[in-house]
Amino acid sequence: MVRLERTETFGPTLRAEPEFQEPSPEELDVTVVVLLETGRLDARAICREYEPPLRELGLSYEFLFVNGSGEAGLGEAMRESIHERGNVRLLEAGQPVGESAVLRLSVEHSRGRIILTLPPTLRVAPEALPKMIRRIEEGSDVAVARRWPRRGGWVNRVQAGVATWLLNMLTGSRFHDMTCRVSAIRRSVLAEIPLYGSHFRFLPIIAEREGFRVTEVPVEPHPDGGHTRVYRPGVYLGWIIDILGIFFLLRFTYRPLRFFGSLGAVFGLMGGAILVVLVIQRFFGGQELADRPMLLLGVLLVTLGVQAVALGLIGEIVVHFQASRGSTYRLHRSR
Amino acid sequence: MSKKPTVSVVVPLFNEAPNVPPLVEAVRSALPGIDWELLLVDDGSRDGTAELADEYASSDERLRVLHLARNFGQTAAMRAGFDHARGDVVVSMDGDLQNDPGDIPRLIEELGRGYDLVTGYRENRQDKVITRKVPSWIANRLIRRITRVRIRDTGCSLRAYRSQVLRSMVLYSDMHRFIPAIAVATSGARISEIPVRHHPRRHGSSKYGLSRTWRVVLDLLTIVMIRSFRDRPLRMFGLASTLIGECGLLFVIAATLAGSTMSASDSPVVFTSTAVVLFGLATYLFMLGLVGEVLVRQYWGPREDLPLARETSW
Repeated sequence: MVRLERTETFGPTLRAEPEFQEPSPEELDVTVVVLLETGRLDARAICREYEPPLRELGLSYEFLFVNGSGEAGLGEAMRESIHERGNVRLLEAGQPVGESAVLRLSVEHSRGRIILTLPPTLRVAPEALPKMIRRIEEGSDVAVARRWPRRGGWVNRVQAGVATWLLNMLTGSRFHDMTCRVSAIRRSVLAEIPLYGSHFRFLPIIAEREGFRVTEVPVEPHPDGGHTRVYRPGVYLGWIIDILGIFFLLRFTYRPLRFFGSLGAVFGLMGGAILVVLVIQRFFGGQELADRPMLLLGVLLVTLGVQAVALGLIGEIVVHFQASRGSTYRLHRSR
Repeated sequence: MSKKPTVSVVVPLFNEAPNVPPLVEAVRSALPGIDWELLLVDDGSRDGTAELADEYASSDERLRVLHLARNFGQTAAMRAGFDHARGDVVVSMDGDLQNDPGDIPRLIEELGRGYDLVTGYRENRQDKVITRKVPSWIANRLIRRITRVRIRDTGCSLRAYRSQVLRSMVLYSDMHRFIPAIAVATSGARISEIPVRHHPRRHGSSKYGLSRTWRVVLDLLTIVMIRSFRDRPLRMFGLASTLIGECGLLFVIAATLAGSTMSASDSPVVFTSTAVVLFGLATYLFMLGLVGEVLVRQYWGPREDLPLARETSW
């Protein structure tokens, strides 16, 4: 049987359905979710590569390809290769959507109780998939792949290594391969993890912070993968900004004043010290205040300090009302 | 599930396994003739506290165990306990047995005299003087001064609450340290305090240190802001804006004077630009206040979060 799904979107909203749809029932064991990108592997190649180990596993499975590019062309080209298969579905977003949105969509649209996310490039060896699924069956909520031993050029390794190191240092997490992003997740768990923007990069960290059990699975990298990729400088800047953002959110979401207040105190004290020195020199050193451009620097620093504290207080108001409506903890699921 | 109890005792536990058996025993013997439940909240312990608590709960239906998915901190653990407590009276205490559950009946009795929250204060506190008692003495004075809630001992977690208080009390971050102040600020609670016993720690180690001073200062600032300005941020920011605007005015005057006396070395430029910076800050603060008003507006419906009040007979 040919299963081909097209979902329509209207207007600028990114919802894949015009009306809210109940998540599809869990009829299968595994859904492999792949975000298709222009110029990367097509659905046929991915199925050819990754299907055999799934078939051998003896579990029921499906592939859910998501065309998040917003271009109809990509989906049209896919149609051919999908036609031959029964357990392959295609989801098309009306506008370009990011990976976080794809993960959220996959909660609604996949039928498996385990969701396996794959990038449209060859990152892990096909044998990794059963390993990760097994880890979920053993009780983990999220299993993330760690490519080991690493292959590929040193440029790849250095850029991934630096990003992972920065992330671990700032967030206190201990994952070794944050750039792989091949992971297996219980669908019920994915449904409870808030993901938006660039947070898909930090899925294991966020899941762990929500109290879910996350384990790292060492897997073989794909023999054909690991091509050296050098990005535009803006891409790296984006990574760093994302990492700083998640650092702030993880530590200060419920206590913004701890961040902005400390920042404000540092600026304010620096500015205050300058002003004190100037005033002392004015009264005891006979130096006219009006001749001192340092006065401007002192006032600017104090101003910056006051602004930081004021922003922190606004943040506290937001958090206060948020906390009065929502929950600040999560109970263990299994008990 | 057993029938609805009158009193719920909430105890957050983090790595307190050796204290669980004596705690359960102490609560069992402390509340004769009262329908009670004991809510043990395991805050992601790694020393078998959870399993031990489960074991006790399996043989006594008055015991309930809540398992937090990870270590969320004491405030979240207390809130979880409060959210799941079913009694009309809720009692909170520490899991380290430094509080004496034998004091609970007296707390409840005091609650019956028309209070919404009764907190204990520790007579003969059994802790180290330098690292615990002195900082705590200073902190209590500071907290009393700043929050204007007259409580001798904010750090004592043995307290009894009317369940209505908990419904409107907002607990998050590390606010468990200031529960009386929060209860006053967010639910308008009437508060009383009575002396309670205090024992030295028998098992395990204290999870507090001195390093939290700066955080406490910032949290206090938050509480004061919440109490006075939560519903009208423009007042706060408007006031600050006016003050800073006045400073700017001073510099304008100074610049004018410097300009009129005009000695060769005096330049009005620095003063003028300082004034400009300050006016900028004043404007910025006022606009932030407006943003604050918009935020607050989002949250208030016509009937939500009524302050505590009750009719009394004449």
